[in-house]
Amino acid sequence: MKGDGTPPTLAQAMRVAAATDAATRYVLRLYVTGSTPHSIRAISNIRKICEKYLEGRYDLEVVDISQHPSLAAGEQIIAAPTLIKKLPLPLRRFIGDMSQTDRILLGLDLREAAATASPTGEE
Amino acid sequence: MLAKSSSFSALHEENAELRARLDEANEMLGAIRGGEVDALVVQSADGPKIYALQGQDAENNRFRGEMLAQVSDAVIAADSEERVIYLNLAAERLYGFDASEALGRPLSEIYQSRWPQPEDRAVAKTILYKCGEWRGECIHILRDGREMNVEAGATVLRDTTGLSAGTLSVVRDVTERKRHEDEVLVSEVRYRRLFETARDGILILDPVTGKIIDANPVVTQMLGCPDTRLVGKTLFEVGLLNDEGVGHDMVAELKRANQIRFETLPFESPSGRRHDVEFVANLYSENDRPVIQCNIRDITERRRSEEHVKLLMAEVNHRAKNMLAVVQAVAYQTAKFGDPATLADRLSGRIGALAAGQDLLVKSQWQGVEVADLITAQLAHFKDLMGARVLADGPPALLTAEAAQGIGMALHELATNAAKYGALSNSEGRVRIVWQIIDDPKPTFSISWLEEGGPRAEASGRRGFGQIVMGRMAEAAVQGVARITYGAGGLAWTLTAPLDDALASAKVGP
Repeated sequence: MKGDGTPPTLAQAMRVAAATDAATRYVLRLYVTGSTPHSIRAISNIRKICEKYLEGRYDLEVVDISQHPSLAAGEQIIAAPTLIKKLPLPLRRFIGDMSQTDRILLGLDLREAAATASPTGEE
Repeated sequence: MLAKSSSFSALHEENAELRARLDEANEMLGAIRGGEVDALVVQSADGPKIYALQGQDAENNRFRGEMLAQVSDAVIAADSEERVIYLNLAAERLYGFDASEALGRPLSEIYQSRWPQPEDRAVAKTILYKCGEWRGECIHILRDGREMNVEAGATVLRDTTGLSAGTLSVVRDVTERKRHEDEVLVSEVRYRRLFETARDGILILDPVTGKIIDANPVVTQMLGCPDTRLVGKTLFEVGLLNDEGVGHDMVAELKRANQIRFETLPFESPSGRRHDVEFVANLYSENDRPVIQCNIRDITERRRSEEHVKLLMAEVNHRAKNMLAVVQAVAYQTAKFGDPATLADRLSGRIGALAAGQDLLVKSQWQGVEVADLITAQLAHFKDLMGARVLADGPPALLTAEAAQGIGMALHELATNAAKYGALSNSEGRVRIVWQIIDDPKPTFSISWLEEGGPRAEASGRRGFGQIVMGRMAEAAVQGVARITYGAGGLAWTLTAPLDDALASAKVGP
């Protein structure tokens, strides 16, 4: 799977299975700071990714920490925008405006789904 | 071997996890260095603190965001792909979406628009992108299906290079206002229709100036000029009041008593025709603004009808008394001159003749009786002989009520006499009844009963009641002269009278 001859671990196998299982529900939370340019782009980009690869099986919560900074507590948020994949495990976090689609898909374990949707794996 | 393999797998998993975290940390640092973040969050004893990384612009943005959050109208911004990038608290409430749920979604998922006309959507969009802003009204359909009338203003958001980056809309729910406006409109249409189709004339006046504010079609027709010429004039100026002072007094009285009523107010229409109107004025309040409403009913016809009824009642009274007197006289004379054995028959026949004339008068509402109709009624017993042995000939002529009564009684006596002793007592005798109007030397009406082919007629030595009816009574009814001659073939009777005394109208047919 990793292309280096190492056999996949159980967790890796589960992640791949989860990514390709249409029933797996994704719970995502995006922390933004009001209507700043990166925040706006991040919201728009992650919505597009979700609608394309996770249609009907995701919950995306956008949290504006500029209005309520206390909402940043407990999630170890260091910068905004930050996207956190809460489910399926493992927890993953992404920083920036979510414009690097390949990196996001990889982090969400959606490369397999992306390859199915687009043979080149490109947006 | 299995335990060793399991331990190796766990270590491998942990290692992968640590690598992933390290990657995340590197990415975070790279993103911060690369300027991909807007703010840093620093945990402190008082909780997280946000530090914006974009200086004054970010601070301005934050300030503007706070301002918009306070606005009571819904504010919603969308990017160039029509995805929601901002919505304030009012918009969250209005559309039933949390910001976290709505941000990044296509605007069409927040609400659908419905326009009065299908083409309005394209027109609004064209105006928005051509002029940079658009204002108008449409309907937003919410996700639960509810429809909401909105008043919206949209402006184009532009980036630093001036290119369109999206739109900012300020939306106000005007559903209640619209509903109220619709109700007002329905009410206006309904009561305007009542106003315009009312059978009474209606005028609305300004109590301060006494001038007309509005007039319905009946008034414009009554006064003979369009409402545009009535508005701004006083009742005196349009001819409804013949004294300007009355108008001022009326307003003063209305302020005191709230209502004024004139049972009959005469006025002359522009065509010169005199009208009687019933005039009622009331002082009302319209949104705390006083107005006078005048209801004007043309009662000319009603008055005329009432007068006619009065006249008829007097006439009936007079006729009834007259008739009773005639019946009394007929009864007395019949008893005095006739054979007691035939008294009942003769009296019944004479009263029948009176009743026949009366019927005709009632039918014509006492306007008069046509000679031909009178003959038909009085000779009803001889209807089989009409046109054969009884011939009637003359022009159309409408007898007065009195003439009809006198001539009718005479015809009855003549017919009864002819049946008993004259031309209708045998099988070949004939009667000609002729009447004519003579203009020269003076307008005269004459009617004759001419018998032929009957037994010789001879004057009776005794003057019976029948002769009184044919003679004196007939003459008295028309101020005329009756002549009776007795010939070999029967009796001849002619009554001549001044035209005006005999006929209800001197104007007769051809």
